[in-house]
Amino acid sequence: MNVIQIEERDNIGVATQTLKKGDVLKHKNGEFTVLETIPIGHKVALELIPKNEFIIKYNVPIGRAKVDIQLGDYVHTHNVEDVTEELCNKNKELFLVKGGK
Amino acid sequence: MSTISAYRRANDSVGIRNYIIVISTVSCVNTVVSKIGLHTGAIPITHEQGCVEFEDDHRQTVLALMRAGQNPNVYGVIVVGLGCEQTSSKDLIEAIESFGKPVKSLLVQQEGGSPETIAKGIELVRQLQKESTEVIRETESLAGLVVGVQCGGSDWTTAISGNTVIGRMTDLVIENGGTVLMSEVFGFPGSEHIVAERMITHEKGVEVLKMVEELRNDFLNDHGQTIEKINPTEGNKAGGITTLVEKSMGNIKKMGSSRIEGILKLGEQVPYPGLWIVDARVQGPDQFGTTGFAMAGANVTVFSTGRGTPIGNAVMPVIKITGNPKAYKRLESILDFNAGTVLEGKTIDSTGKELYEFLLEVASGKQTKSEINESFEFAIPREKARLT
Repeated sequence: MNVIQIEERDNIGVATQTLKKGDVLKHKNGEFTVLETIPIGHKVALELIPKNEFIIKYNVPIGRAKVDIQLGDYVHTHNVEDVTEELCNKNKELFLVKGGK
Repeated sequence: MSTISAYRRANDSVGIRNYIIVISTVSCVNTVVSKIGLHTGAIPITHEQGCVEFEDDHRQTVLALMRAGQNPNVYGVIVVGLGCEQTSSKDLIEAIESFGKPVKSLLVQQEGGSPETIAKGIELVRQLQKESTEVIRETESLAGLVVGVQCGGSDWTTAISGNTVIGRMTDLVIENGGTVLMSEVFGFPGSEHIVAERMITHEKGVEVLKMVEELRNDFLNDHGQTIEKINPTEGNKAGGITTLVEKSMGNIKKMGSSRIEGILKLGEQVPYPGLWIVDARVQGPDQFGTTGFAMAGANVTVFSTGRGTPIGNAVMPVIKITGNPKAYKRLESILDFNAGTVLEGKTIDSTGKELYEFLLEVASGKQTKSEINESFEFAIPREKARLT
């Protein structure tokens, strides 16, 4: 196995060995081609992630796409914005406003 | 519901080991304590504290030593002091005896020196060892089982195959009525909103947010920068971590998906079974975190390590799992469980179940590598955050 998808909803997978450009991988949605070399432990897009959409890992948003990310693309700091502060603040605010479940 | 075979203690707590420990009240007697351990197989607890400490620090030292002696895995205790130190042997002994455990006391100045204290210590340990064989394991529910979850010596596999597998195990322990403790609150910033949502009440969620807010402010005061500014580090990025929320999610994955009952202060005992957070804010070697669990009454810690560590604890077996199959092959003498099979195609779910079964075996007496190698670390955590 070359890629592990941790949770069902994740739109990225983690390379469990270095993926080479042109490698053809199988996923539940069918086959796809790796578009760039991806080092072991790094992320590959398992679907099209349009610009400004969230990268989902561990079933939660971990960052925002800076550009359209294609299926098979390398997903890292070059195309993902770290929006941790925004996520934390927004969700904290929502949580505090909600005032109880 | 699962069961384990364990020791019921006088105060109704449940131990999974019948350890005899020798506690040093002050670093002056560390060698004496170590030698009693070497000659008998009793577990020595030595440290660098016990005299001329600030009051707050000393309170913490005594709390840690007291909780070690009171831990349900401990059958009996020898307390070794010098005779003129800040630590009161008397108070320590009374606190441990109040849990219904046999405690013996030795003071080097009274016994006539080191060789004399060691000789007497050996005799006292042998006595306790003889008595301890009369206590037998009985079938117990998981209500008394307290499991710490921790990670350290991490690599790219720690979050993916190590901590996710621990997360599945955590959910199984909780479903079966046991307790799981999480700490490493320095790894929370970035996903505190997710932890807050999982607390049993809204008020407790607010407590989590406050705790992390304090950490963030301490960090800002000490470094002049927010945590986000320098985290994830360049090394993290080279390893494939892109954002802080991704990094901290890798940490909190060990808590699985169960609801969280509340936050315990360092040294506070678990009030009832469930998933709890221990607020130990010490940054430093992993032993501080593990000892924090022992102080809450933990029986065992499950520790995920991608690079490998020999860590154990003076009053608990430590189960080491690695998400890295290569590390497992290379370091099998210090690692107990290979979760790296997840990278080779096994599901997280089935591997988590296997880890849970392994945990129950350890709880019922199976020795961990930390015990076989006699790795019995103990490090006294401090209350206040210490950022280095």
